Amino acid sequence: MIKFEKFTLPNGLRVLFHKEPASPMAVVNVLYDVGARDENPEQTGFAHLFEHLMFGGSKHIEDFDAPLQAAGGQSNAFTSNDITNYYDVLPAQNIDTALWLESDRMLSLAFTPKSLEVQRQVVIEEFKQRYLNQPYGDAWLQLRPLCYKKHPYQWATIGKKIQHIEDARMDDVRAFFKKYYHPGNAILCIVGNFELDFIQQKVAYYFGDIPKQDRSIRQLAQEPVQKKARVKRIVRHVPADAFYYAFPMGGRMDQSFFYADLISDHLSNEKTGMLYTILQKKKKLVSEITAYITGSIDNGLFIITGKINPSKTMAELDEALWALLEQYKNKKIGKTALQQLITKMQTAKAFQDQGLLNRAMNLSFFELLGDATLINTEANRYTEITPEVLCQYTQKLFTKTQCSLLHIQAKKS
Amino acid sequence: MTNPANIERLNRKIPPNINSIEQINFIAPEQYSLVNGARLFWQHGLQNNTSKIELHFAAGVAIGDPLSATFCAGLLINGSENRNARQIQNALDQVGAYYDVSLGQLTAVVTIYALNQHLLEAYQIFHQALFSAIFPQKELDQLIRERQEKFKINEQKVSFLAQRLFQKELLAKTNFAKLLELEDFSKAKREDIKTFHEQHYLKGLKNVFLVGDFTPELVTQLELLLNDYRCDSKQNITFEWHASKSAIHLEQNSALQSAIRIGRPLFNKTHPDYLDFCILNTILGDYFGSRLMSNIREDKGFTYGIGSHIVENNTFGYFVIGTEVGVNNRIATFEEIQKEFKRLQTDLVSEEELGLVKSYLLGQLLKSADGPYAMLDLYANVYTYGLDLNFYDQYIKAIKKIEPQRLRSLAQQYLNWDEMLIISAG
Repeated sequence: MIKFEKFTLPNGLRVLFHKEPASPMAVVNVLYDVGARDENPEQTGFAHLFEHLMFGGSKHIEDFDAPLQAAGGQSNAFTSNDITNYYDVLPAQNIDTALWLESDRMLSLAFTPKSLEVQRQVVIEEFKQRYLNQPYGDAWLQLRPLCYKKHPYQWATIGKKIQHIEDARMDDVRAFFKKYYHPGNAILCIVGNFELDFIQQKVAYYFGDIPKQDRSIRQLAQEPVQKKARVKRIVRHVPADAFYYAFPMGGRMDQSFFYADLISDHLSNEKTGMLYTILQKKKKLVSEITAYITGSIDNGLFIITGKINPSKTMAELDEALWALLEQYKNKKIGKTALQQLITKMQTAKAFQDQGLLNRAMNLSFFELLGDATLINTEANRYTEITPEVLCQYTQKLFTKTQCSLLHIQAKKS
Repeated sequence: MTNPANIERLNRKIPPNINSIEQINFIAPEQYSLVNGARLFWQHGLQNNTSKIELHFAAGVAIGDPLSATFCAGLLINGSENRNARQIQNALDQVGAYYDVSLGQLTAVVTIYALNQHLLEAYQIFHQALFSAIFPQKELDQLIRERQEKFKINEQKVSFLAQRLFQKELLAKTNFAKLLELEDFSKAKREDIKTFHEQHYLKGLKNVFLVGDFTPELVTQLELLLNDYRCDSKQNITFEWHASKSAIHLEQNSALQSAIRIGRPLFNKTHPDYLDFCILNTILGDYFGSRLMSNIREDKGFTYGIGSHIVENNTFGYFVIGTEVGVNNRIATFEEIQKEFKRLQTDLVSEEELGLVKSYLLGQLLKSADGPYAMLDLYANVYTYGLDLNFYDQYIKAIKKIEPQRLRSLAQQYLNWDEMLIISAG
């Protein structure tokens, strides 16, 4: 059970505080309710590029990292299709430094041309390192637009193409900041050995004078129901054929999220899951195979992905996989197997909750989803699931006409 | 209650005061000597019901035959006399346990994670599977195919190519340079793996690290099981440097980035210059504000990341810089790294920069001592070198004491461009 307190400043900043008496460290986590899904289709990759710029100095502070390092701390951030999350981990006695830094960059950035110019280059190198200069690295750049035709999940957080990053202008940066970086669009979470009134006083002191601003209302195009199977084949200089089967599923708050989460664990379980036992071990079709869900806030994807063995073909795999899924749809999971999956999840959650930073990030994320208490109650959603409802859901989930398949074909040299 | 009129108005230009870290409490684990000669270390006092057991075996790739070491680790609990791979996994799943085998140069480390009420049972399942492991031929054949496929994919990564070539050249003529090639995998033999298992696992236990809140009775039960091992695997690693100082570039057509590895033989924790060199290394390339990051990423924008590290085991240590840069910036990156070496050898590090690095290092040390898991890792990280927690007190002293002159002379001694091995791929 993770206990926490919650309050809101007059400017709209939502604040969570979780006391951890056993640690000498503190975490300051700031989640901004903006991700790649909020980008202009002609300026993709912007939320992520912006995350880099947030370290390039703010209105009154030349450099973000140096003061934090001088306080014994460190900082990082990540951007997803849904959110941008910043965190600072530092000795608890220097909590002021993190609050001072985070509040100043929430107030206003420095917007220096040098920072924009350099971070554009850094992000372009990141684009190459993670997506273009790796075998199968561009799979998700290809898969997203195949699965999403209307919804902005059709591009990855890094952006559709390098050119969008190259084209980013200072005016766009300023406009993006103004629209999304203000107290009403943020959730601040503090973890450490403090008292509530101390935190209330500190947060009011550092964040209280940041002007309130109206939140823009998010209106994203909804993805229409897919009516026909989609297949995309691309040829790449890779050693083996790879496949990505994607099935549409509900969003993070939908009941189907919990079903799909369990099913992906069940199918891909190491040594015992059907994908492994049938396709990898028995039929020797693949050298690796797994299943997972994207877990996005809006409607997500259930993915089955792997690589085909040298003497086997995509057609053979396709036939065997669909036979397996048909079989799976008609068979209820055993009560013991279901219990095992839940027990494993409980272990994983206990280990996750162990870390200070994880607790801070998860509290912030659940608050964004509607209520930070979900951090303690969400596990119950799994224990209510029965074999019958899971079976019903798989019949809906694994529908051929709603499947998108990306096939990366190995170039024969 | 404070009168609001007395609260100072926030002046955002003035940084808050920084409270320095005066002291860190390092807590040693409870220690047990097992009758077989292995040591068990137990750290408790958690705020939750998680637990883990970590077994260190003298079973690394450089101990003997790297092929058997690799496949033995890969197949460790993939079938025993009583249970096949699937049944073992099922039994572990039932108690919600996770396990992981990580293979290093000298040791193989098996870690089992479970809630504390299940740890003993999870370990019993593992123990039985390990002691009656049969390494089925079918499982071996399958793993060979999987490893071959993985290797082919890795061969397309510039970072993999650069790292391997670096290791081969730097550790030339030693066991540590014997890296597996694609054609080696199919030569793995079941009999050799069984022998390796017997010698390096069943007779090769070194240390056991336990974290969790258990009753002493449970620890006694674990001890009884651990006494089934023998600990007679002697490490007769003789190591002598034959490193080359050359510059080698592996051209990869169509690569967008070049991976770079630059380094030299160095030393490990037991060397008198180690602690001070760690501080120098931090300034050069081991934190976000380092010289290399500030110059090559934050000023030039050549890379997504660059870092320098000391890689070590209880026999030797080396220094290495690693990065991936746009192919057109490879030579320029070499020049900038060379400039940074020169700067450290010529100019004194400013008081401001050194002060920042000192606080940063103390803060990071405080963090790495936070909680029983972190604390036991700290302990394990020195114990294998024949050192104890006093090492960290010495480190704190070294951080507080070090002067710019000392850093400059260390740079003059260890950061000479002409003494570096320079590898790039892409």
